[in-house]
Amino acid sequence: MAASMSYSGVEQYNFDIVKKFSVMALVWAVIGMFAGVYIASELAWPFLNFDSPYFSFGRFRPVHTTSVIFGFGGSALFATSYYVVQRTCQTRLISDGMASFTFWGWMAVIVLADFSYVLGYTQSREYAEMEWPIDILIEVVWVTYLILFVGTIMRRKQPHIYVANWFYLAFILATALLHTFNNLAMPVDLFSMKSYSLFAGTQDAMTQWWYGHNAVGFFLTAAFLGMMYYFVPKQAGRPIYSYRLSIVHFWALGFMYMWVGAHHLHWTALPDWTSSLAAAFSILLLMPSWGGMINGIMTLSGAWDKLRTDPVMRFMIVALSFYGMSTFEGPMMSLKEVNALSHYTDWTVGHVHSGALGWVAMISFGSLYHMMPKLWDTKIYSNKLVEVHFWLATIGIVLYIVAMWISGITQGLMWRAFDEFGNLQYSFAESVAAMMPFYAMRAIGGMFFLTGAVLMTYNMFMTIRQGKREAAALEAKLAAKLAHA
Amino acid sequence: MEWLLWFSKPENTKPLALIIFFVTFMGIVIYVYGSKKRSQKLESYREIPFLDDETGTKDKQ
Amino acid sequence: MNFNFKHEWIETNIGLMAVLTMLAISVGGLVEIAPLFFIDKTIEKVEGVRPYTPLEQRGRDIYQREGCYLCHSQMIRPFRDEKLRYGHYSLAAESQYDHPFQWGSKRTGPDLARVGGKYSNEWHVQHLVAPRSMVPESVMPNYPWLLATKLDISDVSDRMKALRKVGVPYSLSQAEYDANVKQFGETVAKQLHIPDAQKNLVEQANFGNYDGDRSGISEMDALIAYLQVLGTMVDFSKYSDDAFVGNR
Repeated sequence: MAASMSYSGVEQYNFDIVKKFSVMALVWAVIGMFAGVYIASELAWPFLNFDSPYFSFGRFRPVHTTSVIFGFGGSALFATSYYVVQRTCQTRLISDGMASFTFWGWMAVIVLADFSYVLGYTQSREYAEMEWPIDILIEVVWVTYLILFVGTIMRRKQPHIYVANWFYLAFILATALLHTFNNLAMPVDLFSMKSYSLFAGTQDAMTQWWYGHNAVGFFLTAAFLGMMYYFVPKQAGRPIYSYRLSIVHFWALGFMYMWVGAHHLHWTALPDWTSSLAAAFSILLLMPSWGGMINGIMTLSGAWDKLRTDPVMRFMIVALSFYGMSTFEGPMMSLKEVNALSHYTDWTVGHVHSGALGWVAMISFGSLYHMMPKLWDTKIYSNKLVEVHFWLATIGIVLYIVAMWISGITQGLMWRAFDEFGNLQYSFAESVAAMMPFYAMRAIGGMFFLTGAVLMTYNMFMTIRQGKREAAALEAKLAAKLAHA
Repeated sequence: MEWLLWFSKPENTKPLALIIFFVTFMGIVIYVYGSKKRSQKLESYREIPFLDDETGTKDKQ
Repeated sequence: MNFNFKHEWIETNIGLMAVLTMLAISVGGLVEIAPLFFIDKTIEKVEGVRPYTPLEQRGRDIYQREGCYLCHSQMIRPFRDEKLRYGHYSLAAESQYDHPFQWGSKRTGPDLARVGGKYSNEWHVQHLVAPRSMVPESVMPNYPWLLATKLDISDVSDRMKALRKVGVPYSLSQAEYDANVKQFGETVAKQLHIPDAQKNLVEQANFGNYDGDRSGISEMDALIAYLQVLGTMVDFSKYSDDAFVGNR
């Protein structure tokens, strides 16, 4: 294939699998973000539920979370990890068949999961709603992924394993561990989609939030740091700021993240020591998190002008800034006093999205903008559109987060407000009514972000077409030359 | 598995976690920043992403 | 001692790195989760908490299916405002038979941990079919299909068997039934007996007539039966205010 020819010889790397996952990352981004805008709109304008079980908020919300986290985020991670591991180890993936299996298997997982939710099959565990048959498929795909990734590293031509691969490895291992233990369940029957969780009540809650927060920690953070450690230096054309810092913050992050899940369960029936311990680690976690942010941002030190001239670079640096911001906000919200106000409110939703949109999506966009033209051996079709995408995304995030901050804090304060006689000042319904403008604002913020993603998909579609045309033209030229000779 | 109960008491777990974490952390930090030679070697790995490029880094330090 | 440790061993050996990474990430979960299974204090000793009847359990299945947990928590925190709004704070014991837990993480709507008995069945039917006819500010979806859909009771005993396997004391044998009589009393024990599951379900639905329609058993019957039992199992008037403080 023409694309891989530019890198020392034909087919040195398996880029076909990277291409497939990159394209699907964009497709799932559009689908998942559309679902997100839709459910956000349902909260602002409830008629959109259309009295239909298939569109109702409760069934559609997992479609959004699964499509963006596992569809978009997952595909972006598969694509970039296969790309990074091959290029930093200077070797080809050990098996094309296994790579292909992870692609079709993972796509089947997302499609089956989305349809099963709409039809009412769910384990009702947030971000792990897939019922048991899909969980087993995930397990198989994931083990294949692990073998493929580790096997490729073992075949490397470089004695040292580049730090980006450490983060990807930690992500693959942690996800396997979390997925396995959080999805232990007893099916009603071999031919029934329904199952019941192995654990009950308090233990079940703890297991779920151990999973829930570490899905954030390893799926949405460690893995994307791996992405950052390769693509930020590449796009900047400068090596990472400090390799030693990356080692220190890798071990600190890996160790500390697993302790913090219980901060989702402050003031609940979970024993106090668990959530307090989790809160302590949440505060400590600020250090390694910021270590990563500083390492990424400082890579650009001495070349700050790139921020003005290179919109792709801007995606990455803004991503790191949001990463720094949400990893500051998170520990703050894990303090019991703050949590008493923020928990159960929209503030949490806003916090998640400043991480998910600001960090995860922005760093993925930046990396894909860097990688996709290289894969098809061409240039970005339109830098102007990248610029527009950047601003749409940034405005979208700001609208979203500000709306959720205001609504979250308002909710929290209204719920705990007392009148002069010591009675509750507001009914719950009054607090719902107060949310209306902010729910609308949030939906609009989401629309901005979605529009940006659609633009990017168009831009990349045109880039691929351009790359294919150039390759065909080159081939025709070569053929003509050969005919003359 | 009864011994796990020991961990449920904050007065045990807090210092224990602190010691384990601190010792390991200091170990890593000393290892990474301790020797000049090692530092140089570690920092040389920064170039790995650029090794399979035709051009390499544009502005190497 | 010649301690010649080299980080390169890790950096250049993917197997060792995987093992160490696994170790680093396992500690937190092990220390925080494992003890919960062994500490007596995790779950209080409290009277009245029992597994769900077949009809209630089917209602719970529907509660899960419709994703109610995404907007309604079932976990009241020990704050003055929550006590006034929702009632006594939730105990671990109250969800000890909940596979899976439904504590939730978000209150787009109010907490439901003690919604049982607060509203009439008629109110619930009307509210689930058209929430804004009862609460104009509500943003809840309409659930008209619950009333229109017949409850599938064919696999109710299979469901209870699955729950029994994960530790819910539903009885299959006479010995298990007798043990339940001892623990929960005869009335409850009868409801927990798997061989009678369908019969019990039909009886409760017909007797309770939750959806106000006697022509058949709808999903609405089951869901309301579940909602009406939430938070009602423990009689808090029997306990002093600080009876459960030690469990926190």
